[in-house]
Amino acid sequence: MTAGATCATCRHFEDRPAEIERGLPGLAVLSSAHGAGRASDGLCVRHDRYLRSSAACEGWAART
Amino acid sequence: MSDATAAISTPSAAWWRKEDWWAVILGLGLIAVAYGLFLNHTSLTWLAVTPAKWTTFAQIAQDFAAKWPRYLAQFVLWLALVSGALSSFGYRLRNTVPAFIFLYVVSILIFALGQWAQAVKFNLEPPLVALVVGLILANLNVLPRALDDGFRVEFYIKLGVVLLGATLPFTLILWAGPVALLQAGVISLVTFGVIFAVARALGVEPRFAATLGAGGAVCGVSAAIAIAAAVGARKQDAAAVVSIVVLWAIVMIFVLPFAAAGLHLASGVGGAWIGSSEFADAAGLAAAQAYGAIAAKAPGALPAIADQSVAAFTLMKVVGRDIWVGVWAIVLSIIAASRWETTGIENKASVSEIWRRFPKFVIGFLIASIAITLIAQGLGHTAFSKTADPGLVAPIKALRTWAFAFGFLSIGLTTRLADFATVGAKPVIAFSAGVVVNVILGLVLSTLVFGAYWSKLGQ
Repeated sequence: MTAGATCATCRHFEDRPAEIERGLPGLAVLSSAHGAGRASDGLCVRHDRYLRSSAACEGWAART
Repeated sequence: MSDATAAISTPSAAWWRKEDWWAVILGLGLIAVAYGLFLNHTSLTWLAVTPAKWTTFAQIAQDFAAKWPRYLAQFVLWLALVSGALSSFGYRLRNTVPAFIFLYVVSILIFALGQWAQAVKFNLEPPLVALVVGLILANLNVLPRALDDGFRVEFYIKLGVVLLGATLPFTLILWAGPVALLQAGVISLVTFGVIFAVARALGVEPRFAATLGAGGAVCGVSAAIAIAAAVGARKQDAAAVVSIVVLWAIVMIFVLPFAAAGLHLASGVGGAWIGSSEFADAAGLAAAQAYGAIAAKAPGALPAIADQSVAAFTLMKVVGRDIWVGVWAIVLSIIAASRWETTGIENKASVSEIWRRFPKFVIGFLIASIAITLIAQGLGHTAFSKTADPGLVAPIKALRTWAFAFGFLSIGLTTRLADFATVGAKPVIAFSAGVVVNVILGLVLSTLVFGAYWSKLGQ
């Protein structure tokens, strides 16, 4: 696996709060993608999972 | 979702993009300004205006006619603070400004309705009215969706909680905190265990079951998504849990205050029960504030009783349950990595997660409480009651009420039932089993086991 190849730098990882809230309908009703509890988590569109930004897999691809 | 493969990363984890820190800065800033004015023998009272009690329409109309410059000044203050903070999150003024104008105007009307002498007779508690009004408007699609940028429930609630700290003596937190931690610990562990066990017995996948359990046991939707990330849950499962938690939480906003009233619980006991049994801070505060108002209007009750419910709720939910989310994330992450089927994703836990996920607004709440306690000690009890209570604490309390009002109305305004994810029967059954156990256990602990503590809270 490439050094530093985590979700944080992967093109498949969506960590923009507005997109996270769009992907998880109702999230902003009683919580928020801007809260401390989310830390830097986001949605992986390759695996269709919600992950930490520190997660990693073989499918990593650099952001362009 | 937009084309995420073309997404440009934004530093969304930076502190200035987190509503927790903005709530701390703005909340403590308001408290500092209030204290500065108090030291100069003036106060924020003129700005922290609220509608007066009324019995006839002429009275409230006269009240508004006399106070409109104060409302206008208050509106400008809130608009500057809110739009400034929301801009840092990336929201555009063209959406947040009209959204806040709408929020403020409707909040004034609901606040005024709650001050009507007959409001209690018709159960017109402002948090419940705000929720109903918001739900109706949202589900009739009356408002443009872009206004959601200004209906940021969590931001308003966190700001309100920081301001709430300045109305609670730190000695009270030290006195009741251990009880809250113990009760909340028992509740959280049992509720998680029940939901997880029932879900697994029904064949729900373990990561989904853990996310579901955390949503019911710790801090609602915030815990659910924190645990979803920690265990690497599927997006559709995380979305399902969000839907289940939100819908149950909204139901409980209406059920718990009236159930507590039916059981004739003391204000503090009712607040502790709501703190044990609600899933999200915003929903729980709406229920606790509504119950405090109901309890305060009982024959012979003192007005101060209203605050006991909110204080007990905050100690139980915010101090007792919310702060552990990082620990839950680490423990469940380790279990997921070592015992559950692999997903092909390396998703290691880190101790630093406890701090990164820590609800920072709790720090603001505690600092505010310590500050007001030191001020009280410096002045002495008599001087504090005579001068600081009306000149310093009362305006902060009024601003807190406004912040909560914006939050409660925003809950309804953002709850569009048609948007929610489709949910299967099994997770709903598992979560509902946890709700039943949680409600019963919370009632037993709040009344029979720790009732003496909660009924004395703030007395």
